[in-house]
Order: sequence, then C-alpha cells, then structure tokens
Amino acid sequence: MAFVTEFFSGIYNLCLGLKTTLKYLPGRSITIQYPKERMEMFDRFRGVVVLLSNPETGKLNCTACLLCQKACPVGAITIKQAQDKDPITKKRYPEKFEINSLICCYCGLCEESCSFDALKMAQKYEFATTDKDKLIYDMNRLQELGRDVKYVPKKKRALVKPPAKPEKETESAPVNSNDEKPDKPADQEDKQ
Amino acid sequence: MLELTGLLQWIYNIVAGISSSLGLPDIIRDIALMVLIIAAILAFLTVMALFLVWWERKVSAHFQDRLGPMVAGWHGWYQTIADAVKLLQKEDIVVASADRKVHFWAPVIIYTVCLMAYAVIPFGKGLIAADLNIGLLYILAITSFTVISLLMAGWGSNNKFALLGGMRSAAQIVSYEVPLTLSVIGVVLMAGTLSMYSLVEAQGPYFWKWYIWPQLLGFAIYISAATAELNRTPFDLPEAEQELVAGFNIEYSGMKFAMFFLAEFLNMFTISAVATTLFLGGWQPPLPGLDFIPSYIWFLGKSLFLVFVIMWFKWTYPRLRVDHLMDFAWKVLLPLAFLNIIITALGVHLF
Amino acid sequence: MTDLTKEMQLSEEEFIVNMGPQHPSTHGVLRLLLKMKGEFIEDLIPDVGFLHRSIEKIAENRTYAQFMAFTDRIDYCASMPCNLAWATAVEKLAQIEIPERAQYLRVIMTELNRIASHLIWLGTMSLDLGAFTPFLYAFRERERILDMFEMTCGQRLTYTYMRIGGVSKDVPAEFYQRCKDFTKDFRKKVDDYEAILTYNPIFLSRTKDVAILTIEDGINYGASGPTIRASGHDFDLRKVHPYSSYDKFNFEVPLGKNGDVWDRYIVRIQEMRQCCEIIDQAVEGLPEGPIKAKVPTMFRPKAGEVFARIEAPRGEMGYYIISDGTTKPYRVKIRTGSFSHVQLMRHLCKGWKIADLVAIFGSLDIILPEVDR
Repeated sequence: MAFVTEFFSGIYNLCLGLKTTLKYLPGRSITIQYPKERMEMFDRFRGVVVLLSNPETGKLNCTACLLCQKACPVGAITIKQAQDKDPITKKRYPEKFEINSLICCYCGLCEESCSFDALKMAQKYEFATTDKDKLIYDMNRLQELGRDVKYVPKKKRALVKPPAKPEKETESAPVNSNDEKPDKPADQEDKQ
Repeated sequence: MLELTGLLQWIYNIVAGISSSLGLPDIIRDIALMVLIIAAILAFLTVMALFLVWWERKVSAHFQDRLGPMVAGWHGWYQTIADAVKLLQKEDIVVASADRKVHFWAPVIIYTVCLMAYAVIPFGKGLIAADLNIGLLYILAITSFTVISLLMAGWGSNNKFALLGGMRSAAQIVSYEVPLTLSVIGVVLMAGTLSMYSLVEAQGPYFWKWYIWPQLLGFAIYISAATAELNRTPFDLPEAEQELVAGFNIEYSGMKFAMFFLAEFLNMFTISAVATTLFLGGWQPPLPGLDFIPSYIWFLGKSLFLVFVIMWFKWTYPRLRVDHLMDFAWKVLLPLAFLNIIITALGVHLF
Repeated sequence: MTDLTKEMQLSEEEFIVNMGPQHPSTHGVLRLLLKMKGEFIEDLIPDVGFLHRSIEKIAENRTYAQFMAFTDRIDYCASMPCNLAWATAVEKLAQIEIPERAQYLRVIMTELNRIASHLIWLGTMSLDLGAFTPFLYAFRERERILDMFEMTCGQRLTYTYMRIGGVSKDVPAEFYQRCKDFTKDFRKKVDDYEAILTYNPIFLSRTKDVAILTIEDGINYGASGPTIRASGHDFDLRKVHPYSSYDKFNFEVPLGKNGDVWDRYIVRIQEMRQCCEIIDQAVEGLPEGPIKAKVPTMFRPKAGEVFARIEAPRGEMGYYIISDGTTKPYRVKIRTGSFSHVQLMRHLCKGWKIADLVAIFGSLDIILPEVDR
C-alpha cells in the first residue's frame, strides 16, 4: 500500500515541478540585451575613480592632502604634491596623480576619505582595452573622465578664512577626524 | 483543401508519363519516384533538425526566464545554420592511435539509422513513403541500431573514459528498449495491425477515440523509455559524466560531432512522430470542424508538441543516478508494461 | 601527485581518478584525488591551496580600516558577513559601542546576503544534480538583492559596506519599499524552488539517506552552520551568543533529523525563509540615529588579542586578532566554515559513487576562497 501512495505522490510531485517551470514560459524575461540596452546604474554605483574639477574655474578640486593615498588598501593611488608659488594663497595642488585601475579594487575608501570633493567614483565601467598601459590613468585622463560627472558638494571650504562650523549632516557621519595632520609625507606608512 | 494527395498524383502522373514516353520499364519509374520522395523527406528532415536545435535553445531559454539566441536574425532563427557552417569548417581531428574505420563509421551509422526510420512514418493523409505491413516492428528494429553506433564511437576513440561512457550509454539504451517495445504492444492489440498507416486509421477521427485514453499507462511508459533512449535528462548521467569521465563523443570534433548532435535531435522527432502515430491519432484533426487544416499540419503540430514535452522534462528534472536508472527500467517500467499488456488484452477480449 | 598517492595504497582493482582543479562541479579550484574501485569511492584526498592569496599575511601590513576591503574577498558570495565578522572582532578588541541603527542595518545587510549566498548554493547544487532551471531562477532573485545592495553601497558583489564602528552609508529612501516587496515575493519564489526539487522523486532518490553525518562526527570534524544543524544539533551563533542585536529578533532555527544530503538542503531552504522574517522585523523596527561611532582614522587599539565569531552562511566565521598597539594588526587568523567542511568530504564520501560525490559536495556548500583564503 505504501508503494502505491509513494507512486502516486511521486507522479504528483513530478507534475508540480512541470507546472512551476511552465509558469515562466510565456511572458517577458528579465534579460537586458547588452550592448543594445544597458542597465541604469544607481547613483551610488562605484565605478571608476575620477577627479572632479570646479565647474567655474575648470581646475581640479584636489589639494593633494594624500588622505586617499593613505586610505587605499591596495596602493592604487600615487600622488606627488606641489606648492603654489603665490605667497598669499599658498594652495597645494597635485603635480602627479595616478590611479592604477588594474589594481584598484573599487572599494570606495578613497572617495570616503576625501573631504574636498576631489575624488568620486563615477558610474562608468566600460574600460576594456587591449593595452594594459592605457589602464593606468594619469591626472589629465582622470580629469577628462570626471568632467561630465555631476556631484553634490560635500562641504565648501574657503581658502583664507577658517571653515565655518559644519552643519549637522544626517546622511553620513564624518569619517575623518582631525587626528592626523594632512600634510604628512606619503612614505610614512609602508605600502606595496 | 490543401492536402497533398492531388499534388502527389500529379507528380506520379508526370513521372509515369516521362518514363512511359521514354519506353523505360516500370521499375525505373518506381525508382525515380522513390528517389524524389526520399529527397523530399531528407530535405524536410534537414530543415527539421536545424529547426529543432533552435527550438530547443529558445524553449530552454524561456523556461529559464531568459531569451536565448537573439542576434542571428529575428530571434536568432539562423543561429543553427551559422553553427553548422562553423562546425563544417573545423579541423577533423582523429587521435593517432584510434581505430580509424570504426571511428569514421560510427557517426555515419547513427545518422543513417535515424533517417531510415522515416520511411514508414505517416506524415499526413496519403503521405507515407513505404507502408510496410510491419512498419512498427521495422521502426523498433531500426532504432536499436544506435547501440552499435555508440559502442563503435566508444571503442574507436581509443580512450578508456570514452569506452566507459559508451558502454554505459549502450547499457542504458538496451535496458530501456524492453519497456519501450512492450509499451506499444497495447496499441497493437487494440488496432490489430503493425502497419503505421493502418494504426492511424484504426484510431477514430476525433480526439476521444485516440489511443492515449485507454493506453495512458502505455503512453507514459513509452515517453519515459524513449527519453532514456535519447540519453536526455533525467536519464543523461552517462553524458553528464563528461564532467568527470568522458561521454562517448569526447574524441569527435567538427562535423562528426555535429552528426551525433543532430542525430539526437532527429531521434527526438522520430520518437514524437511514432508516439503521435500510435497514441495521438497521427494526422487526424481532434475536432470535427477543424478539417480545413491539412493533415500534415496536424501531424507536425502534434509531434512538435511532444518534442516540447520532452524538452520540458529535460529542463525541469534533475538526473537519475546510474543504478537508479537501471532500477527504474527493470523494476518499475517493465512490470508496468506487462500490467498494461494484460489489462489491454483483457479489455480487448471483453469489449 | 605522487606524494599524495603514496598515502593511498592501491590494490589490483583500484585506480585513482583525479578530479582536477579545473572542474565544473567543484565550485572553485579544488583538486580531489579519488581512489575508486569500480563505481565506488574507497578513499578521497582533497588538495587545497590553489586559491591561496595570503590574505592573513596581507593583514599584517594594512590598517584595520583598510583591511575591510580584503575581508570581502574571503568569501565573495557572502561578503557582508565577512565584513561583519571583522568589524565585530575589531570592535571587541577596542571595546567600541556601536549605535543601534548601525546594528540593525548590519543585520539587514547580513541577512540579505545570507539569502543571496544560499541562492548561489541552490543554483549550483541543482546544476550539479542536473536540474538546470533553478540555477537561473536563483540568479534572477539574486539580481533583486544585488540591486538593493547597489542602491545602498554602490557595489554588487564585494561591498566593503561596514566600517569599524558602524556602517559606511545609510540606506536611501527607496530601500524600504523595495525590501518589503522583495521579502513578500521571495517567500513565493522559495515555494517555487521547493516545488521543483524538494519532493521530486528523482531528487529524493539522489539525496535521501545519502552521506549521513552524525552530530558527534560533525562536531569532531568542526562542522558548523547549516551542515551540523541538519544533523539535529541546535547551535546557531545568532541565538546562542547573539551579536549585533540579533537577540531582538524573533526567528526560528531550522533543524534537520537525519543529517543526510536532503536534510542539509531543506535546512538551507528554510533558513532562507527565516531570513525574510528577520529582514522584515529589522526594517520595521529600524531606529533613528547615527550610523557610525566616532573612530579615529588612524585607529590604534590597545595591545591584546581577541577572537570573535559570527554565523556566516557557510558555517562559523571567526577572526583571531593579535594587536600590538599599532595601527596595523600583528597577526590575523581567519577561521572559516568551508575549511573544516572540506575534511568532511573524506569522511562522508567513502563507499558512495561519483554521482553521489557531486551531490554531497553540493550539500556541504563549500566555497574555495573561504578554504584557501
């Protein structure tokens, strides 16, 4: 008797499986036919790292504070600092800013560490090429990539006046505290 | 309305006219007609094989909630042709230590055998190449040839894993032949004939008279045994073992591999065609009012539906393990097939 | 090969099959040496180390915050629990209090990732057993989860979402509705997967009473997670030693009876349902507040050592950290579930066939990056 019930329950379950797969037969599938159609990435998507520029002056926002270089876990960022010759502004800027996107692990720690809106992870991800050297981006390429990237300025810092008391932000708590002086030389920590 | 009997009569008249005007004996006229018919069937089957490969890819894709081939033509319709052209231009690699003759003839045999079975399948009203009065027996005998071809493929590759895989596949096919043959005996008892054309006619014209209703068990056994004959999931462990050991066709490349592949799809269509003939009323329409659709369209539709069902099984069920496979053949299907014969015999005798 | 095969003394009928590192069903690069007698497996030696990336050594040269990016890659299918384990260990070392909103967010993300990881397991196990469709269905559900992750932290596989002291980003406003819709739909989808597999006679014949693991053997070999719960051992770290406010949620821990392959399968399927419960409760009760405690950038914990463990989808994941008071740890040792389960293969596979080996391997849910680190 048990054999018979097992037999019929087996047949019932087989048919149940068939019914389930049949359910998905008609109807639109969820496939997006890349490259004809592309998915729209969300705002926070972490694509390639780009350098942002001031929309009015066209100059890079980066002040070469080297925080991103310290934050990067794999050592993909290489920065060389330079000082402006102007005695009043004495603004620091990067002379060389290189990101090795072959090593970059797209973790976003650099974007988070930057307090000057200099670095952002854009939504671009299609960078396949046959030449490895093209994937080591220098400052010009990074700035070019970042020109059409829209961003919401995190904080505004004036050059001469000390910064005003920061407004309360509910989105994310400030990541950097003022423990570390920003202009420590880069080779203090040993990086690979 | 669109039946081909008129067309066939016209072709016959033309060929007969030509042959009699040239003063040739009757046999030449018959041979010429046969050649034409064979050419027509081969053309149809080639197109059908290519179509079935595309159909499998599309059906499996839609079961899995994806799209399948979309680039080669509208919804990828000439994808198979592109693949066939690619396979044609591949290098034919034969292992140096392989048995060349055996290695060469294995795919030839399997493909030829597939095609031979179509000599007795009724494609429509009056559309049968050779109405043998032992048509069904002929088909069952011919489809057993695939075993030889698999063993040849396994042996000829000179690869111990291919041999193991080939032997395993052969064992599976031979085991499932027995319930396959026994399951159709019920139909033969009810119809009283082995001729394929008469089997269709013995089933009444409309769907309540088809043999699937009294022979539901036979139909289920037939479809299960036939899926196992084809080495398809859920019975494809000998093939899937390619992951670990090799299937029988591991050493084949290029067009020879394509032969095995196409032979499997053609076999699928053969199985469905035979099942349509035996259980689903062949080329007859299901309802009285639908006579205007020609008989060959009904036949094709029913066969393709059964092909679809076989594909449905493949993409839903997991695989059976080899010993369960054998158990299923000998301990489940065989007793059920005997039961079916006994019940049918009693039924035919009493009613 | 020769030094390993010396361990296996071959008699006349036996032969060695090498299920090599590149193989469709070993879920990564694992080499299994099988001593076979006909169809049956007499002995099995796993050969690991093909995916070794020296993550533990790398940890000695990275700060605690930087190492978070590496923890993702230990088990990239379940990246959030790996992040969580590291964060928990460092916070335990430095005695940092985490705000409650951060704890709830961590729970939501970990449970979503548990579902995603179990979906990969479901897909690959059924693919190995020959059912091709659940694989695609599982990945379709995963797309929805990955969309939610992308919406929050920007990545779809290796998130680096958690930070020492909390999480990095708050969830956007669209997340809540999406999450609720997802859990509602997902319960029905799990019913679909069960309809295809659970009581299917073919599946049952492959998995029922195959490779039974007793509780005693499991504990001796260090099995954890769903593998040991399928044998009936009621031990879930989320209940026994709750971390990150898991004690505030009401959920069941599914247990198996026999410890065969079918039980290991059904335990994971039911865990997916329980994850939906936890996620619903967490999203309902998400408190307001900061998402990260104040932790200095160059954070120096006191010298000392700590071991912290969490319930990852594949077993117990633990970090043992020795700190010497500098910004970088002195030594990090990672304990993963899959590493202990690989030795279970030898114990469980003896006497079964190769087709069963595939089923057993699928049921243990081993993933090679966790094994080799």
